[in-house]
Amino acid sequence: MTAVTPLPLDAIADPELRDLIAEGEALGVPDALFSRILARAPAQGKPLLRALIMSHRDGGVDHTLKEIMRVQLARFAGDAYFSGLRSRQAREAGLTEEAIDAGSGDYEDTPRFTEAEKCALRYAEQMYLDPNKVDAAFNAELKTHFTEAQIMELGSFIALHYGMQMFMRSLRAALPFCHDG
Amino acid sequence: MDEGIRDYAASSRFSAADKLALRYSELMARDPDAIDANFFEELRAHYTEEEIVELGAFIGFNLGYHTFFGTLKFYPMFSPDGTLVSQEESERIYGAAPVSLDTREARP
Repeated sequence: MTAVTPLPLDAIADPELRDLIAEGEALGVPDALFSRILARAPAQGKPLLRALIMSHRDGGVDHTLKEIMRVQLARFAGDAYFSGLRSRQAREAGLTEEAIDAGSGDYEDTPRFTEAEKCALRYAEQMYLDPNKVDAAFNAELKTHFTEAQIMELGSFIALHYGMQMFMRSLRAALPFCHDG
Repeated sequence: MDEGIRDYAASSRFSAADKLALRYSELMARDPDAIDANFFEELRAHYTEEEIVELGAFIGFNLGYHTFFGTLKFYPMFSPDGTLVSQEESERIYGAAPVSLDTREARP
């Protein structure tokens, strides 16, 4: 049970909000629980929900990599809710639980990830565990693997998802189902 | 501004509701395990459910983005007196110890 009671779906009449809830459910991240909580403050909730979905589903960085980073961040944040969600799009692209776990573990030592993927995973890890390490040298390393647009996309993605994960952690939100249904 | 960041709990400048919102922000960043059922009961004594969601989402958003912005090492375009300054000059003014504009006289 969350600290804030989500609005019932049938109490949400705003068509824009209902479309966003459907988009989140189609992707699998977020499911309707998060959307129904944000629906209590729709003026803030709608742009946040839209940004959360678009930053994950769209853009110029591989969606599967962002899904691995998203779960890695949720585990750092100690957020049971977002840790338990899985992107259908990433699963359909072949992402496995083993790869997700590898991204949250000793990713530096595994041959499963490219140097670019390891750099992105390090970016997410260091941003909140040791932001002083995200220095000029690290940004120069990022630029050897990603364009400026991709770096901004990665940084914004990390910031937004980590922030919403900390919010959901504060609500002690958990999923009614595990990620395999 | 600075009192709201540093000494809000002891300050007479803030209402009990203000202090609680400031504590929510502080705890989400530094001690999220302390945000428990009792804390939410306290929040509900001062805020509606809508306001609690607004506060929590606002805090989470800012917590995420300010850390990201900090890694990008960019600074305000203008000095406290409104002069357009270079990023190097702005870093000298704001970078070492971020403080509110009200304390600029105390800055070397």
